[in-house]
Amino acid sequence: MSEAQPILRLDEATIKFGGLTAVNKVSFELNRGDIFGLIGPNGAGKTTCFNLITGVYKPTSGEIYFQGQPIGGLAPNKIATRGICRTFQNIRLFSALSSVENVMIGAHLRHRVPLVGALLLAPNSVAETKALQERSMHLLELVNLADYANHRSADMSYGKQRRLEIARALATDPELILLDEPAAGMNPQEKEELLYTVRRIRDELNKTVLVIEHDMRFVMGLCERIVVLDHGEEIAQGPPDAIRNNPKVIEAYLGEPA
Amino acid sequence: MKSFWPVRLASIVGVVALCFALDRAVLAAAPAQYRLLILASLFVILAVSLNLINGITGQFSIGHAAFAMIGAYTAGTLSKNPAFASMPHPQLLAVMTLLGALVAATFGFIVGLPSLRLRGDYLAIVTLGFGEIIRIVTNATESLGGSYGMPVAPKVQFLWWSLLLMVACIALCRNLLKTTHGLTFLAVREDEVAGLAMGVNVTMTKVVAFVIGAAFAGAAGAVLAHTEAFISPRTFPMEMSFIILTMVVLGGTGSITGSALAAVVLFAIPEYLRTLTDAQGKAYEMNAGLFMGILVAIMIAVAASKWIQTNVHEKGKKLGFYAGAWLAVIPLGFLFQTILHLSPTLKTLAFGIDILRYAVFAVVLIALMLLRPQGIFGHHEIGWHWFRKRPVPATEGGAA
Amino acid sequence: MMSGLPLWADLSFSVLPQQLVNGLLLGAIYALIALGYTMVYGVLRLINFAHGEVYMLGGYVALFISWQFGFTQDALMQNSTREGSLLLLGLMLIASMLICGFIGLLIEFLAYRPMRSQPRIAALITAIGVSLLLQYAGALFLPNSPPPSISEKVNPYRGEWRITLSQPSGESVAALAAAKATLDQRTREFDEQIKQERSKFDLSPAGVAIRDEKNRADQEFNKAQTVVNAQRSEIVLPRGQVVMFITSILLMLGLNLLVNFTKMGRAMRAASHDFDTASLMGINVNKVVTLTFFIGSALAGAGAMMNTTFLGTPMTTFSGVQPGVKAFVAAVLGGIGSIPGAVLGGLLMGMAETLVVWLGYGSYRDAVAFVILILVLLFRPGGIMGSAAVEKV
Repeated sequence: MSEAQPILRLDEATIKFGGLTAVNKVSFELNRGDIFGLIGPNGAGKTTCFNLITGVYKPTSGEIYFQGQPIGGLAPNKIATRGICRTFQNIRLFSALSSVENVMIGAHLRHRVPLVGALLLAPNSVAETKALQERSMHLLELVNLADYANHRSADMSYGKQRRLEIARALATDPELILLDEPAAGMNPQEKEELLYTVRRIRDELNKTVLVIEHDMRFVMGLCERIVVLDHGEEIAQGPPDAIRNNPKVIEAYLGEPA
Repeated sequence: MKSFWPVRLASIVGVVALCFALDRAVLAAAPAQYRLLILASLFVILAVSLNLINGITGQFSIGHAAFAMIGAYTAGTLSKNPAFASMPHPQLLAVMTLLGALVAATFGFIVGLPSLRLRGDYLAIVTLGFGEIIRIVTNATESLGGSYGMPVAPKVQFLWWSLLLMVACIALCRNLLKTTHGLTFLAVREDEVAGLAMGVNVTMTKVVAFVIGAAFAGAAGAVLAHTEAFISPRTFPMEMSFIILTMVVLGGTGSITGSALAAVVLFAIPEYLRTLTDAQGKAYEMNAGLFMGILVAIMIAVAASKWIQTNVHEKGKKLGFYAGAWLAVIPLGFLFQTILHLSPTLKTLAFGIDILRYAVFAVVLIALMLLRPQGIFGHHEIGWHWFRKRPVPATEGGAA
Repeated sequence: MMSGLPLWADLSFSVLPQQLVNGLLLGAIYALIALGYTMVYGVLRLINFAHGEVYMLGGYVALFISWQFGFTQDALMQNSTREGSLLLLGLMLIASMLICGFIGLLIEFLAYRPMRSQPRIAALITAIGVSLLLQYAGALFLPNSPPPSISEKVNPYRGEWRITLSQPSGESVAALAAAKATLDQRTREFDEQIKQERSKFDLSPAGVAIRDEKNRADQEFNKAQTVVNAQRSEIVLPRGQVVMFITSILLMLGLNLLVNFTKMGRAMRAASHDFDTASLMGINVNKVVTLTFFIGSALAGAGAMMNTTFLGTPMTTFSGVQPGVKAFVAAVLGGIGSIPGAVLGGLLMGMAETLVVWLGYGSYRDAVAFVILILVLLFRPGGIMGSAAVEKV
């Protein structure tokens, strides 16, 4: 796989729900190592875009390519196996389980032991589980949650839950990680830490990041390139400065100029 | 891990030896209880295997008796075959158990398929419907004995075999939960969408849970058929599924040891009540007025406990209130009884204690749901770690 | 039945219209019960397992009232001229509806309301518990062996109406009359012969010949009778069941008016659309839930009263299970949460069941419901009139 090939490419991806076109012919490309922003007003179709990429929905038309392979309409777990993982806007942790167990579920994907081995508690199965536990602890350290490894995930604060979701997504060892409003509900200091963590994910773990966020300062400070959606349509694309001054974007956020 | 195989081998030999020893001990000390202990261990298998589907994987199934029925009829039909009938009894029982498990697992696979599209209460209804269809079809099939039932030959009662099966069932489920594979089952229970996004093969996991759960239920059914030497559709009524469900719910959905313990308790209580006789050897009868009085008093105590649960927050005070509410059951029960006895019919109406058991199950189920919907042990396992000082590793049930 | 042939090989289609009408009459009762399931599910998203038991209790209420008015077996032995009246029927209907309504309301208040904040599965298990409790605790107190049934004398509308769809042709009627005459003739001859024989069981050769003649004539007659029956197609309508059907329809229309044209009905529709938002909009959702349970249970009570009175169905405390399950399937079939769907589903369920019995698979009649249920859930989970909800991610 050449470095020049985009890691993710949306080619006029479209999805209709009944008469409503939630995402209409959206096209953009992510290069390996990008931190890419997806913004837009409420109801613009950002999360739907994520759902298309991760296989929750099948595109009505258009195609999505991941590392050059079409993935539109594959089952979500197949797409996760190929190397795309995500967090959720409305946090979806395995709430009765502890933090480390949450992360281990993400990590199971790269460490397969046959079911029969697990049922018989074969030595390699035990060893794998131990190894996964250790790897998961490292990821918890990365998001500063090592002290909460044995806490029930439902009992943790909002900000910690969001960080735990990131750790869980990283555990699947993805090439591309999609973050859906990772900073929502965080205080300024937590946002600052998150900014730092996302950069580390890219720089140290060599991941590509696609992020949806409403906090403009956060997005502008983090992303190198941004695509703006409004009413399911792509209205602008470019580096943060260009987006900030784009009249179409301003109109989308502030309404028709008087 | 160099010490793995010796340790594993030793524990297997130990368990087998223990099962044989228990078998001999029961035969020597209490032969009358031999059959009951077999049945009790079969109910443990049924409860633990349902817990795998229900509590661990979170697929609400309430047709578990049907799998046992399939296993039982498989054994009943195939053991007539001369090739099997000539086998020595231990081998025959082992082969029948295996075949019963296989056939039931096939059906488990078929029932597991709708669970891919259905959730929660809809799935519950479908599993219930599947159980009923199996029962109605058996009832109408003359070659299976129809509603008259089917004698099963030979009668084979081996406590050691059902104990081994029980240990195997518990051990497999526990092993599963100790590895990452088990975590994927829990992930399906907790959040399917998130599980999918983490690459969990939700489809596969659900079907595997149904297949394993059904296989053990089928094995238990096959052993049951040979223990009782007679099976009929009435051996596996819809209520049997509800009893198994009550065991799982009482013990705690997701707690293997909890459901095993609950199975033993819920099996033993009605059996014990049945053996109670008065000095003349007549079965005890319970006065209808007294029964209703106690029932009403218990309902009031449950309601009071629910109130205490939400409104009293000091721990010491809470315990005191609970104790008060439940102690009040006795005088209240007798008070209601006295009031109810003003009615001449209730004063004279009486019934045998053992026919109360379904009503008692129902009350247990309702009270439990109101007061502690996660069951007595919740998601926790009973084990040595309760007595250890050091913190519990995450994989053994999480932080308490 | 001939072996090797399918069960339906010797069906006579002339009885089909009658079967469809029977299905419709049965279906009306299922529809009444299904309304309770669908309304409760619409508002609370709860399968009220105990609904079938409320229905069962409704039958007992009707039974007890008829007993109060002297329709017990003993009293009828002494005074066999006692007849029911419209007034008594009305009283039984209203009492069944009111008492069932209150039982439903009580179940909701004691068992379901505390569960509202719990996961749906916990509420479902509670519902199973309530259902079992009513069955088994009820079995201890309510008369159930032998299963009592309401005396048919309670119903003043006995007898039946016949609607003839087609008459047998003159030819086959003549053939039947001829066959009848021959049979009578042969029977007389045989009777004459018997008198001369030593014993009925040990006939002389002449006697055997005459007996064979008679048997042949008997077969001919039966054949002619079958032909005539196959050509005659008529619908028998027991008057009581017609009353039952009309009452059911009236009750359903009343419910429709209530739901669509009153303030309370609007509140119910709002709560069923979105329970939480409705409560935020100032709708007293507790009142709505109470009313929903009351109405749903009252309709089940009405169905039970009419079923036990006009069909004389014997009662046990378990007799609510099967109708309950079938009505639930009817609700799912029509689209759970949809009131017209429940009515349609109920009628379809009734017809499906009678048709299966007609096809000769009577021993599978209770399995039909579950087969339909599984098929509906797999291929059209929203039912005929409902729509499947999509989970938001």
